[in-house]
Amino acid sequence: MSAPTCVRATVFRRWSTLWRHKTQLLSFSALLLLPACASFSPDGGMSVTTDIAARHLRKDVVAIRNDEDADAARVKVDDLLKRTLNADTAVQIALFNNRGLQAAYNELGIAEAQRVQQSLPPNPSISISRLSGAAEIEIERKIAANILALLTLPARAEIATERFHRAQLAAALETLRVASDARKAFYRAVAARQAVGLLEQSSEASSTTAELAKRMTASGAMNKLDQSRQQLLHTELTTELARARQRATSERERLVRALGLSGKDLAFKLPSRLPSLPNRPPAMKTVEEEALNSRVDLKIARSELDSLAKSYGLTKTTRFVNVLESGYLDKRVEERATGEHKHQSGFELTLQVPLFDFGEARAREAEQTYMQAVNRLAQKAVNARSEAREAYRNYRTSYDVAARYQRDVLPLRNMISEELMLRYGAMQIDVFALLTEARQRIAANANAVDALRDFWLASADLQAAVIGGAGAPSDSPSSTTAMAGDGEPAGH
Amino acid sequence: MITRRNLIGTSAVLAGAAAISGRVQAASIPEAVTTASPAMQPPLTPASGPAYQPVVTLNGWSLPWRMNGEWKEFHLVAEPVERELSPGMTAKLWGYNGQSPGPTLEFVEGDKVRIFVTNKLPEHTTVHWHGFVLPNGMDGVGGLTQPHIKPGKTFVYEFVAKRSGTFMYHPHADEMVQMAMGMMGFIVVHPRDPQERRVDRDFVFLMSSYDIDPGTSLPKVMTMTDFNLWTWNSRVFPGIDPLVVRKGDRVRIRIGNLTMTNHPIHLHGPHFEVTGTDGGWVRESARWPEVTTDVPVGGMRAIEFTAEEPGDWAIHCHKSHHTMNAMGHEVKTFIGTPQKDLTKAVRKLLPDYMPMGTEGMAEMGTMEMPMPDNTLPMMTGFGQFGPLEMGGMFSVVKVREGLARDDYKDPGPYKHPPGTVAYEVKGDIPDAMRRSDNSTKPGNVELSVVKPRTNRQGGQH
Repeated sequence: MSAPTCVRATVFRRWSTLWRHKTQLLSFSALLLLPACASFSPDGGMSVTTDIAARHLRKDVVAIRNDEDADAARVKVDDLLKRTLNADTAVQIALFNNRGLQAAYNELGIAEAQRVQQSLPPNPSISISRLSGAAEIEIERKIAANILALLTLPARAEIATERFHRAQLAAALETLRVASDARKAFYRAVAARQAVGLLEQSSEASSTTAELAKRMTASGAMNKLDQSRQQLLHTELTTELARARQRATSERERLVRALGLSGKDLAFKLPSRLPSLPNRPPAMKTVEEEALNSRVDLKIARSELDSLAKSYGLTKTTRFVNVLESGYLDKRVEERATGEHKHQSGFELTLQVPLFDFGEARAREAEQTYMQAVNRLAQKAVNARSEAREAYRNYRTSYDVAARYQRDVLPLRNMISEELMLRYGAMQIDVFALLTEARQRIAANANAVDALRDFWLASADLQAAVIGGAGAPSDSPSSTTAMAGDGEPAGH
Repeated sequence: MITRRNLIGTSAVLAGAAAISGRVQAASIPEAVTTASPAMQPPLTPASGPAYQPVVTLNGWSLPWRMNGEWKEFHLVAEPVERELSPGMTAKLWGYNGQSPGPTLEFVEGDKVRIFVTNKLPEHTTVHWHGFVLPNGMDGVGGLTQPHIKPGKTFVYEFVAKRSGTFMYHPHADEMVQMAMGMMGFIVVHPRDPQERRVDRDFVFLMSSYDIDPGTSLPKVMTMTDFNLWTWNSRVFPGIDPLVVRKGDRVRIRIGNLTMTNHPIHLHGPHFEVTGTDGGWVRESARWPEVTTDVPVGGMRAIEFTAEEPGDWAIHCHKSHHTMNAMGHEVKTFIGTPQKDLTKAVRKLLPDYMPMGTEGMAEMGTMEMPMPDNTLPMMTGFGQFGPLEMGGMFSVVKVREGLARDDYKDPGPYKHPPGTVAYEVKGDIPDAMRRSDNSTKPGNVELSVVKPRTNRQGGQH
């Protein structure tokens, strides 16, 4: 709090002193006092990010500034990697480990450095001129300070602070984005892996049917045509399985990138299945309001607007005054012949006369820039509300779809399997019908996994839409594993 | 109308042929007796009217009547019923007086019978008296000889049972549906002289077939040939009662066929003669000994034999699919397809799976596999030596010494006299010698077969 106030107070003191021509020395020394007021914050400006991460993500973040930070983060990441990952640990690892995020934190460091820089008064310039003529030597010493720079110091400091604040929010935004990416990559990787497991089962089923068909051809119970069909089905499923494995590898690599892992870390363990669907979706009646209040990007836009407003006001007040310099002059003249010294002192004020540039253009520019920011913020607010609504609807729909799979489709599939098993026991159908049904059940399970994955992705998107940190909205292609369930009707 | 009235010879109330109201007072309609049990009921000894030797209906009963002057009055109620086909399976059928098939009607030659028919079905019906010679207007063909009996209506049929023999009744209105739903019953007309063609035990049953999907209870009425339940009196083995016979008894079995295919009924043990058809009694000189008689579709056969040999003698339809229960006709044949080593893989997907059919299907007879609700095992029933592997049209004629005259109780498995049961040969059994084991000299017999070929080039033009 104190830094800008402090600067302003000092400058005012200096200002009055200067104009009263009183103690020039005092004013000079006041200049020297200034730097003590603006300083680097102890956490490097991470407080906002830490706060947002703790509040919305319930995660720790760390800006790694030195070896100790790096070691501490490493220990934590190692610890998390030892266990099977879940969505939360994946996010935590990404927050500790993602180098892109650290780069964003560096940006924050840069902004802080600039803030400190901007809160400093302009360095006074000292000039010494020595003119030696035949008769005398004239030594002129001058200390000059850019008064305008001094005058505008509080405003500039404030703008820099604002910029710094924005950088803080930007770092927070980046943190949320990295978290969201990590979360989504985690769900995708687990879902892809689960799909492989299901396809493995399916291909096992088709391999059994193919083998049975082969044996039945040998026993004389099946013709070449039917056997070839069974064989083909198996081949197709095997191909499908290879594709699914490839997808799983890609998704895992995406997760690796999101978590910033390499080397021995790559051996991390993923769970075999997605987390189950919550019993009921958390109702969110005030999703738009929430988005307007919490969206970090809106906060950034607002802050941008604030600082633009300040710089606009500044431009208006300084439009006529472009350069104003004052200086303390000290002149010493030495008679060559006599060795006599003459000493003169005084001050100098230079003012650029705005004869051609009345600052009108700059004022217009500032005004338009300001209005641009106003409009951008308004549009952003409209977008944020719409995005929040869309994300919530997407979330609800994907919840309902996933719930329908979990609560209706899969139990019904199981019921069908059980009933078919009973019919098998009653010699109504044969094992081929059972295996066909098994494949269809597995396909339904694969669809259920897709639906569950889409739900978790939608829930990550919803968080992003409400808090910020949205990357591209998750494309949920519902890559329904096309499974050959050519529902051969069971024998009657 | 006049003709009929003359024939019937009754002055009792007249008017239209259809509604009984105005002709017979509603109060005068006899009570419709019903039963809920599929158990075989003891023969109904006549308490009024002329005496006769009653029949025994397999898993069924005979309908009581009342005398109203010289008229024998019966009351049939056509209605939806639930029939236990065998313990463990109940079908929703249509029938008469609580059961399908309906109760057996027993007349005596020359009886004037008046049969009230009340329709409690959701659609119209009629009753056709299969095999009877009667006034055309009493023949029960809906639309042709009478108006249909609408739901809720009661019609009355009146005719004279002119000749003794074996008959049936069934609807002749929407009959494809109504017979597929189980609407049928047996009629026996006894000779006026109780001593004529007298037998000691007289069994009757009707053959019907149903297509009821496993887990359901309503027959599929559109099925024409691929039925899965073949029944005697709407019962399937092991739900069919045994035909219990005292050694030395003269036995008659009357069989009617209301399925859509013929049934070669085969009796083990005693030889029999076919003594009657729906056309009447077979003259003694025309009978020939049989062990199997083919009962045609819509036909009746009465067979007779003397039970000389004690034992448990199987009686069944010789179409072997008819001695199964519900089975999947599309199930592939797994004989010679080893499956055991694949079981583990299959069980990963289907934990309850067990391979079947590699060595044939006999194991089905021993296995107790869980099945869909309301379904019968395909091969079932156990005897004293093991599984019977039967279902459907199968029962046992149990001939025993020293039974009481009206004792139809199941006497249990036959106690074979020592040394009269097939037994296992112990010790060294020489390998079967095959013809190919004899060293045949090549060239002894040489056949050269020339496959006739068409000369394509020449043949084309």
